Amino acid sequence: MEKHVIEKIEKIVGKENVLKSYEERKCYSFDARAQGAIPDLVVFPLSSFHVSEVLRIANEYKFPVVPRGQGSGVTGGAVPTSGGVVMVFTKMNRIKEIDKENLIAIVEPGVITYDLQEEVKKYGLFYPPDPASHRYSTIGGNVAECAGGPNSLKYGVTRDYVLGLEVVLPTGEIMRTGVRTMKGVVGYDLTRLFVGSEGTLCVITEITLKLIPLPESKATILAFFREVEDAAVCVSKIIAERIVPAVMEFMDKASIICIERANPIGVPENTGALLLIEVDGDRASVRSQVEKIVSVLKEKGVSEFRVTYDPIEAENLWLARRTLSQATYNLNPIKIAEDVVVPRSKIPVLIRKLEELSGRLGIPILSFGHAGDGNFHVSIMIKDEPQDFKKAEEAVREIFRETLRLKGTISGEHGIGILKADYIDMELSQEALSVMAKIKKLFDPNNILNPGKIFPKHILSG
Amino acid sequence: MVKKEVIEELKRIVGDNDVLTSKEALRAYSYDGTTNWIKEPDVVVFPKDSQQISEILKIANKEKIPVTPRGGGTNVSGGSVPWFGGIVLCTTKMNRILKIDKENLTCTVEAGVVLQDLNNALAKEGLFFPPDPQSFLGATIGGIVAENAGGPACVKYGVTKQYVLGLEVVLPTGEIVNLGGRTLKNVAGYDLIHLFISSEGTLGVISKAELKVNPIPPSKKTIIALYDDVAMAGETVYRVLENGVIPGKIELLDNWVINRIEEMMPLGLPKDAEAMLLFECDGIEEAVQKETEKVVEISKKYGAKDVRVAKDADEANRYWTARRAGFAAVFGKAKTVLSEDVTVPRGKIPDLIRRSQEIAKKYGLELVILGHAGDGNLHPSFLTDVENKEHYEKATKAMEEIIYAAVDLGGVLSGEHGIGLEKQKFFSRVTDPKVVNLMKNIKALLDPNGIMNPGKIWE
Repeated sequence: MEKHVIEKIEKIVGKENVLKSYEERKCYSFDARAQGAIPDLVVFPLSSFHVSEVLRIANEYKFPVVPRGQGSGVTGGAVPTSGGVVMVFTKMNRIKEIDKENLIAIVEPGVITYDLQEEVKKYGLFYPPDPASHRYSTIGGNVAECAGGPNSLKYGVTRDYVLGLEVVLPTGEIMRTGVRTMKGVVGYDLTRLFVGSEGTLCVITEITLKLIPLPESKATILAFFREVEDAAVCVSKIIAERIVPAVMEFMDKASIICIERANPIGVPENTGALLLIEVDGDRASVRSQVEKIVSVLKEKGVSEFRVTYDPIEAENLWLARRTLSQATYNLNPIKIAEDVVVPRSKIPVLIRKLEELSGRLGIPILSFGHAGDGNFHVSIMIKDEPQDFKKAEEAVREIFRETLRLKGTISGEHGIGILKADYIDMELSQEALSVMAKIKKLFDPNNILNPGKIFPKHILSG
Repeated sequence: MVKKEVIEELKRIVGDNDVLTSKEALRAYSYDGTTNWIKEPDVVVFPKDSQQISEILKIANKEKIPVTPRGGGTNVSGGSVPWFGGIVLCTTKMNRILKIDKENLTCTVEAGVVLQDLNNALAKEGLFFPPDPQSFLGATIGGIVAENAGGPACVKYGVTKQYVLGLEVVLPTGEIVNLGGRTLKNVAGYDLIHLFISSEGTLGVISKAELKVNPIPPSKKTIIALYDDVAMAGETVYRVLENGVIPGKIELLDNWVINRIEEMMPLGLPKDAEAMLLFECDGIEEAVQKETEKVVEISKKYGAKDVRVAKDADEANRYWTARRAGFAAVFGKAKTVLSEDVTVPRGKIPDLIRRSQEIAKKYGLELVILGHAGDGNLHPSFLTDVENKEHYEKATKAMEEIIYAAVDLGGVLSGEHGIGLEKQKFFSRVTDPKVVNLMKNIKALLDPNGIMNPGKIWE
């Protein structure tokens, strides 16, 4: 990047908000899982005006701009593919307004999800979306990726909480979409087009979020099963009983063995699956939900279970789930992680397929995730060896094929980014992709905004 | 005028019986749920599947003939009126419920399925589709999706867009595209589903939908609260929500509506009450009991002079029938009714009501207020007569002021009815021109010849 361009940018945001050294720039070349190119410059805007001005320059000189929050994404969404500017939003981190009467919060994109959740709690309110990274991920990143989390079955995903946005288009125009009301049908729903667009259509600079009242209490249940089918039957049966738990996390046998080795929680022998269930609401309804769930569990062959109403004790029950992702690295140093979703009733079919694949290819494949909405995180653990990468590639293709055969999707909440761009046409038809590519070109004719994401290479060039 | 050869071609595609051109038939498809706009199409076609829709659109696109998709025609903002003639593409013969998946709480339906039919079928499995536009007896899923319909239940359950998991749409160029899927989560590529939801038939034809459905709540209770001041009722609404109670429904009816209801079906409501709130709490029994108690307590605290809990389902049903009759009552009392669909942040409901009353007073008009107070969506209405020019103009002007008041309070001009023909003038005035431009560009991208439902949303 030429010196005078860098100077222009420094003039806009201030020297103290630009990083230029190699070491600093290198820190912004990867996210939680993907390695990308090293950016030419890292810029920390303080306002939508800054964003707009930088984008105008980018459009003039045609360099890429990659919006980034905390870089906790796992598909490379916030990683540059070919230099340019990484635009980091951690300094735009004000909670501008919490409106208790209307159950609304207005925030800048750099606000940490957890900080917002804690802040609204003081008002007796609740912002439900809780991606596993919620302690450090930003709301802007959550919106751009349409983050989910364990409680989406009951509470929905990020998209369901975004009422309105202020965005900056790649051409530098600042624009507002959406509403502050619970209903609103005024033209096309651009807000939802932008949610989950992975920073490829616009840069998000302010978000109006819907909040809900904080549930009064909750209970946590940890249940062990011999067979994965038993756990799956329980999930269906609980829902059929008209109970909608806030959380129903599932772990397969491979995950349980892995966690028990790293961090023993006393799993009964011969356990093939476990469910971590959480119900919330007012006290009376929580108790009655727990009773009903327990009777389902007993009836459907649970081998052992634990129930607690105590939040500290609940943390212990969550321990296995929370430490699992890290523990997987004890198996092998490299993780290929997938984020497939299948209709709930197809969970056992998918799990059996994974077991079969793991056996056939001779590599550990673990799966755990959000059983309530059928969203599974599949971890293929491999060594840093070419034949392992080949096997993993084969496994991914087969997992996607099976997922799509079961009428599922290849990404529930992580996005496509760079890591899954080569697979997206397994799910989306050429017609659908071509409409998306046209929309991308309409918004971003010079392809400066987060290039190299979502679309397989041939789609945008064609 | 659609050429004779084109009509022949349409007959070849869907069969002779499913192409209507008679004067009477064209007349029947010239208006929507209101009769505020009337325009006859040249031909009405009834496709049976998405393949036929595709073929129809290909011809229309080639010949540049306007195509207006239509379901039950129950909409109220002019969305299904063929404003430039051409083809009305009526989906009512695509009315099969293809699948109800009880295990996964989803269903797959063709666009022409009537909501009531769907809910009847779902009820057999203990399920329901929560968005409940009050036209459910005739409204089709395709129309409900195209307009992003709401209804009383949205305060707790959200609007249509929260229940659409997947769509099959036919683009104006004839391509059949599948969007989304059958799962609750899906982030593969851009969210085109939501671009089509609320697009009012201007981007393509929705031919099939994959919907999320809910289990029917095991328990329900209805509460009515009566007030001497409409604005106080408005305040109760957000106080209830603020206290952590989200009832399934919160409806507001004013004195005028209460009196019409008492005339049509006496329920023993006090005729001097200025306003009535109608709550429904639903969920598991213990929670419903507790919520009901809280609603009663908060209503009293914020000025209700009388609060009643319906003692059984019969009594509850009578109240809800009365609520549904509310609209009929309004429309039955005047030649023309100007009814709006403004939505404000819930805390602003009392302000909106007060300002609407002031505006009505200023113009010397009779104002009727009813609506889905729980989500801030009100339908203020003026009784007028389109043939009484002076009165009608006054009513139109007053309504304009109400709309601007709502926007001024941080609200929007349409909560659930759409822009259609009705609100174009306001839409372009209150929407950022950059936003309108982007929408128009998206429209041009998908519909380069502008054949899909021309004349809607923007002037």
